[in-house]
Amino acid sequence: MQFAQFVINGLMAGALYALIAIGIVAVYKSTRVVNFAHGYMIMIGAYLYYTFAVLIPDMTWAPSWLSSWTPEWVAQARVGAKMFSPTAALYDWIPNIPRIVFGLAGAIIGSGLLALFIERYLMRPLLGQSNFSMIMVTVGLISVLSGFKSLLWTGDAASVPHLTPNPAFRLDFFGTPIFIFGANFMSMIIAALIFGFIVYWLRHSSAGVAIRAVSEDQSTAYSMGINVPRVFAQAWLIAAATGAVAGAVLSARDGVSPSLGLFGFSVLAIVLMGGLDSFVGVFIAAMLVGVLEALVQWQMGGTWVEIAPYVAVLIVILIRPHGLMGQPEVERI
Amino acid sequence: MIIGNRKVSYLEDEKILNNGYKKAFVYTMIALAIALPFFADDYTILMASLVGIMLIAVVGVNVVIGYTGLLSLGHAGFVAIGAYSVSIIHNVLGHWGVPDIVHPWVALPGAMAVAALIGILVGLPSLRVKGIYLAVATLSANFIIIFLIEIDTFSQWTGGRLGLTTPDPNFFGWVLDSQREVYVLIAIFSFATILMVQNLFRTRIGRAFVAIREKDYSAEILGVSLLKYKLTSFAISAAFCGLAGAMAAYFYAKILPEQFELALSLQLVAALIVGGMGRTMGPVYGTIIIVLVPELLKIGMGAMMGNSIEAAQLRAPIQEIVFGALIIGFVLFEPLGISQIMDRFFRALNRWPFARG
Amino acid sequence: MTLGKSNITRRRFLKSAAAAGAASLAMPAIVRAQPSQYIIGASLPMTGPFATAGQLIAPSLKMFEAFTNQAGGIGGVPIRVAVEDSGYVAQNALANYQRLLASEGDAVIGYFGDSTGFMKLVAPELKGAQARLMSSTSFASELANPETNPYQFMAGPTYEDQFDILLQNIAAEGGKSVAFIHSNTEFGLDPIEFGKKRAAELGIEVKLVEATKAQGADVATHVTKLAQADAEYCILQGYVTGVWPQLIGGARQFGLPTKFMGTFWGMEKLIADRVTAEAGPFLDGYQGVMPYRYFYDSEEAPRYQQMAAFSKEHFAGTPLENYMPTWGLQAMLSLDLLAMTLAKTAEAGKELTADNAAAMLSEIKDHDTGGFFGPNATIKNNKIGIGRVYQYSAESKLFTPTSDWLEV
Repeated sequence: MQFAQFVINGLMAGALYALIAIGIVAVYKSTRVVNFAHGYMIMIGAYLYYTFAVLIPDMTWAPSWLSSWTPEWVAQARVGAKMFSPTAALYDWIPNIPRIVFGLAGAIIGSGLLALFIERYLMRPLLGQSNFSMIMVTVGLISVLSGFKSLLWTGDAASVPHLTPNPAFRLDFFGTPIFIFGANFMSMIIAALIFGFIVYWLRHSSAGVAIRAVSEDQSTAYSMGINVPRVFAQAWLIAAATGAVAGAVLSARDGVSPSLGLFGFSVLAIVLMGGLDSFVGVFIAAMLVGVLEALVQWQMGGTWVEIAPYVAVLIVILIRPHGLMGQPEVERI
Repeated sequence: MIIGNRKVSYLEDEKILNNGYKKAFVYTMIALAIALPFFADDYTILMASLVGIMLIAVVGVNVVIGYTGLLSLGHAGFVAIGAYSVSIIHNVLGHWGVPDIVHPWVALPGAMAVAALIGILVGLPSLRVKGIYLAVATLSANFIIIFLIEIDTFSQWTGGRLGLTTPDPNFFGWVLDSQREVYVLIAIFSFATILMVQNLFRTRIGRAFVAIREKDYSAEILGVSLLKYKLTSFAISAAFCGLAGAMAAYFYAKILPEQFELALSLQLVAALIVGGMGRTMGPVYGTIIIVLVPELLKIGMGAMMGNSIEAAQLRAPIQEIVFGALIIGFVLFEPLGISQIMDRFFRALNRWPFARG
Repeated sequence: MTLGKSNITRRRFLKSAAAAGAASLAMPAIVRAQPSQYIIGASLPMTGPFATAGQLIAPSLKMFEAFTNQAGGIGGVPIRVAVEDSGYVAQNALANYQRLLASEGDAVIGYFGDSTGFMKLVAPELKGAQARLMSSTSFASELANPETNPYQFMAGPTYEDQFDILLQNIAAEGGKSVAFIHSNTEFGLDPIEFGKKRAAELGIEVKLVEATKAQGADVATHVTKLAQADAEYCILQGYVTGVWPQLIGGARQFGLPTKFMGTFWGMEKLIADRVTAEAGPFLDGYQGVMPYRYFYDSEEAPRYQQMAAFSKEHFAGTPLENYMPTWGLQAMLSLDLLAMTLAKTAEAGKELTADNAAAMLSEIKDHDTGGFFGPNATIKNNKIGIGRVYQYSAESKLFTPTSDWLEV
């Protein structure tokens, strides 16, 4: 029954893929830009989280409650708890709350500003130009973002606090032990909730309707009185915010490192596999690839995992050119 | 308004070097390339060779992206195929006891053929998908090619992650085992490649490519077989990239799979954008810029900050930022690249002191 | 066309080209032979995945420059260490090397590389005037071979030797099973095959061989596999700052009793201290092999004391003032051996060519390094096969030895 363990691991990884994919799909749906640099925006988000959750609270001038908020009852409860027990995990987490909140806020606001800048000064001038130009601008952004990252932060693979308590669970599943990290499980829930919320919001809010109208036809939407530039900005903000959360979760799980940028490419493959304009398709693809990777890791080892998403996307594209649930584009001459 | 060109025959109208300054510029560059091995120092030879190798590949990428309008982000994979094929063919021939002097004549065409075959394979999705989907499909192909080179299954031929020691080619009994000698080979092939691609676009095939670029369905309605020409385009461009890989294999004493990863693919496309897509001289200008900017940065920063550790540490990030900024800048402000700027410049020279522009 | 004849044309071409090249530099030949300053080049990963290591090594190389020049340089000629960033890309390091040779020529007398990849990439290029004696950050087993890599040496035991030391130690403690977790890089893969073979010889069962990403690995899955493999010991290979602490942390959270061990690059006190400060004392009891003494272990080590006095001044006000990381020590020792070899070559009245230096290097026997190693060092097969096992204590924040010096 080890199979179950790896399916669970895969689902937990898949939910994160889905969270990252929101950013690519949202931007594509409203602006028709496929953001190749989304992974690098996540990387910047992760480094911002690191800055606001670790670097700044640890400065000498920072107030002490920011780095470690330890009211009397927490300190007392902590002493009694056994190391690595769930209670201990909870009481280890509580003092971190201020820095986590501060870090998340910093990451979301910082990424948001970055996204607005990119949208306003790099993307909007290209409105109406070929797809190719827009893709190439995002490809150029890859280098610019990764350069700024190395300029501003050193290459430390530092660890950052988890968003939630991180107890370790050892369950018994028909005689096989199953291991689950609490934080990973909670991240899965958070990712799924955010994903569900955004899909719901797009369906039912007026802003969501505007985004969908723009995705159908920009110029018609414009003439119907929809503020198209604002819709673009909204889409980029959604991408930035979800990306920042994903960056925080990922860096807490794997450590802050520049490799988060490369992560974006495999998510791009997942998005195409699901269908660029379909949230549901992308969610399914993310879960499929997550599980596939975990199973490959289990059966074939770490070497093969790296190309699993790429092989999967190639196969899907060859069979269904517009992904699992994407709409084929109708071209007229 | 463009005025002042008087042409009295169609032959004249078809000329590539259609004004005296352009002609002088191109001939000077060719003369310089020929003279280089006789007077240049090692450093110049190194840089010129790097430009040459990359130039061949960028010319290949230009065929697919610039002329046929298919976006590929995986051409480094073909460079890898060329580099590895040429080395493996040399090794196999050596193993069979074929004399050294025959090797390059089998290995070079062989490597180009293998690259072209793989190119066709990778180009297959282009029949069904376009734009972003094709970009990601080719990018995936690049990852997969590198992976196949690295895994143990083939490591007996490819050397896996440890890399492969490359042969020194023997042309007419002259073993090219120094960079200066390989440079001559690279220069010859770069020149030949540019000429071939330039002339390709005066043939039926080349015109079919351009028709596909402008609108593929329209081209099909006009009788251009998309299957045939899209795959031909991929095959030709992959073959040139394979040639570039072969030159890299001859130039370096050893090749590693990590040399041919996504970063190289992006560099190739960047050079094309900076230089000018779908233009003969585009790859030349673009490659020179992409290869030499890091060198200029190094010299500039060295002059400003000396040889301190801090300067060494800042150089890579700044280089990356400049690289990305070049791509973005050209896409935003001069989508036709440097060749457009140069054309404007030559035209202005030609008409001076009359109208400019 | 006969071969002999064609060779003449080739030679003539090269000769005229080289002569023209030399003339264009307008430099009298005698100056080229005796530069006013020797240059030792270095490529370090100051950006990219192993930037932390590169940024810690770079200052120690500069300190070596000052330290050596204070003592009169090499044969009276001062040295300069020219540090370049490679971003841990072997090709960049090769370009750095070739650029340095092309621009500085004979003044370059040695090189310090950044990776196994670079050392392998450059090895076939080291011919004639392009050859320099060089060392690197790598302990790859393949490099310790004077026949194929005559100009490359390492100031310590190979990764295979380090695995050997660890496995012997496990066998001595009565261990029966081991797991290998390694990064999916050349660095991580290097000793794995040897490790399997050696473990079989020692009667230790290898229960798991797991490849992970070098950075940002999916720790949960790897820890799960480790838990299911149920090995008494686990050797981690191929990491610098990331992944290995998270793996150990994850295993401790699940309450796995596995004992973790590392090799040279996973044994840095600064990293262990940082992990302890950020995530808790779970590295307590972590063991690993280290060829050198830690810098704080300077009793009976005259050269460490000298260096400590020098670095206190040189690095005054920086974190490096009182402690030099093992990575810096490794680079220092490499350059130290390089400079000593070259000085001896100069003393013997020979030209400082790579061939002469390599010949001199192989004659280093029973050399008292005055600190780095316990016993005297002998260079055999272009390496020094000495090391011992250390254990980390989260309380004292020190690595302390748990075995005697082993020679392999």
